[in-house]
Amino acid sequence: MSEKNYRLVRTLLLIFLGLWTVLTLFPIYFKAITAFKSPAETNSTIPSFWPKEWHPENFVSVFAESSNFQSLVDSFVIASGNTLLSLFLGTLAGYAFARFPKQAGGENLAFWILSNRMFPPVAVLIPMFFLFDATPWGTDSRISLIILYLVFNMPLATWLMMVFFRDAPRELEEAAYLDGWTPLQAFMRITLPLVLPGMISVSMLCWIFAWNEYLFANLFVGTDVKTYTIVIPTFTHGSQTLWNLQMAFSLMAMLPPVALFILLRRYMVRGLSLGVVKG
Amino acid sequence: MARLELQGLCKGWDFPVIDRMDLTVEEGEFFVIVGPSGIGKTTLLRLVAGLEAPDAGKVLVDGRDITALPPYRRRVAMTFESYALYPHKTVAENIASPLRARKTDAATIAKRVQSVAELLRIDHLLDRKPGEVSGGQKQRTALGRTLVADPEIFLLDEPISHLDAKIRHELRQQFHTLEDLRKVATLYVTHDYAEALSLGDRIGVMGSGGLVDVGTARDLFERPANLFVAEHLGQPTINVIPARLESHADVLHLRANQGDLLLPVDPARAHLLAARNDGAVTIGLRPQFVRPADEMPAGSAQVTANVDLYEALGSTGILIADILGLRITALTSPERIFEHDTQVQLAVDTAALHYFDPRTGANLTLQTPGAGAATAMASSVASGISSRAEA
Repeated sequence: MSEKNYRLVRTLLLIFLGLWTVLTLFPIYFKAITAFKSPAETNSTIPSFWPKEWHPENFVSVFAESSNFQSLVDSFVIASGNTLLSLFLGTLAGYAFARFPKQAGGENLAFWILSNRMFPPVAVLIPMFFLFDATPWGTDSRISLIILYLVFNMPLATWLMMVFFRDAPRELEEAAYLDGWTPLQAFMRITLPLVLPGMISVSMLCWIFAWNEYLFANLFVGTDVKTYTIVIPTFTHGSQTLWNLQMAFSLMAMLPPVALFILLRRYMVRGLSLGVVKG
Repeated sequence: MARLELQGLCKGWDFPVIDRMDLTVEEGEFFVIVGPSGIGKTTLLRLVAGLEAPDAGKVLVDGRDITALPPYRRRVAMTFESYALYPHKTVAENIASPLRARKTDAATIAKRVQSVAELLRIDHLLDRKPGEVSGGQKQRTALGRTLVADPEIFLLDEPISHLDAKIRHELRQQFHTLEDLRKVATLYVTHDYAEALSLGDRIGVMGSGGLVDVGTARDLFERPANLFVAEHLGQPTINVIPARLESHADVLHLRANQGDLLLPVDPARAHLLAARNDGAVTIGLRPQFVRPADEMPAGSAQVTANVDLYEALGSTGILIADILGLRITALTSPERIFEHDTQVQLAVDTAALHYFDPRTGANLTLQTPGAGAATAMASSVASGISSRAEA
């Protein structure tokens, strides 16, 4: 490629990437400034891209109702509980499918597990409601959502962990056996540390799904337990949507996943690139 | 301190890989298994280690049957071709792994790791991760991990094959001097015949189904059981010449099927071959026994050839010559120069020829009972494969 062409392509690429960045960041920017606006300004016909007056008190008023903060806690407990359970089951199942495919039920069972992610969730909404309603803890509880979200997160965890385990050389385990470690010890000491970055990536994906889930939460919980996703639409005044409060609250709800991501991004990148480049 | 016995060991997947193999490796013996890649050498080690279960047969250590024991209950140490070092642990932790598995106290571990690391000259690398050391150092670490384990049986799978030539030679010398290796039964697998000849107290040549010949380096080199063994040992590879036996003036001669090559049969072997007069044989002629005529004693059998290719390799020269369509590899002294397409007079040491059956490949002139048994074993291996295939 000639020098001139190279610069042209580079310039076009930069323009494209710039536009892309604006496109992805704009909703977040607009959400952030809307959170500071007055209700009147959010409803003006011509949208303003910079608040005329700043109303930081919006962030206080969203927590006026104490159950609103509690909803973030509930969401956190449900997402974390479900992630731990998905990861535990997915790691064991993934290991079995990676190392002992025949004994673990073969490809058919693995694909059946994956197929649980393929139907539209709304198709099982009503049956699931009656199913969980019949359990001792009912639908309106943290445990019901923790278990329900396994339907979506366990297949993901199983399949991703299976791939990570396949990439972890079997010979390392065999070397450990010859060193005198039992299969369980070899798994805990050798194989598990190798797939740790993968486990962290998987747990992020599971956690974010459970944190953001709305459809099932809306039907299942709401009285004893609330998730933050079903609290957001409640910021209304009569028939008027209080956009500023909805944005302020959802901005607060963005903080935990962003914080987690920043904390774990080093592992995430390693986990997501595992298997691309063999190390 | 133990001897290793394999009794009627069988293992196969879609086809038999190891077929009714019997082998005894004595305490302190360094037994090298050499053979082409993919022939089942690693499978054999994995059977001894317990990483694979045999289809039939037994593995015994000092007479104890360990066939059913899982690998972590056997006192067998193995180095893997890929080294199999734990990437997230330091060199020291890698070496210490077998000791930790046996709950050795920390002070002893530190002492043992240090002494093994010093022996292998990797004591300055103990805090590094395997990803931060060179290939040779990785190999030493893997070796350290097996040495420290103080096992009854050592299994070494191509331990130095993937290193560059200089380090390979250095480590090969080190194997000679490692006392720990000399106290136990060691099975060493390689595809490099020079490693095998250099290291093995005894050498087993592995062909399809199992060992086709067992003996000392000298045995195998001078009295190969069959053509497969002769072709596998030696560099450059032995010249293989299809020929016929003929009588000329009551002296047995051999005539190559192609090219104008007529050589008298060594009188010491003639009586063994007399019954094959007028029959086909396959001749094995090692390159070091065919040289330019002026490098051989006067009176050797001579032949005129055309120079095809000449490689001067410093310590020796390799001459590829053409005798009317028959290509022969010959060795020369290193300072010689041969031009392409010039004539050269070659001399052959006829006493060093090997005579093989063209159909079975068996060596026709073996006299020692031991070597005869090896031939018989090779044929039993062949029949074993077919009988197992039927089963």
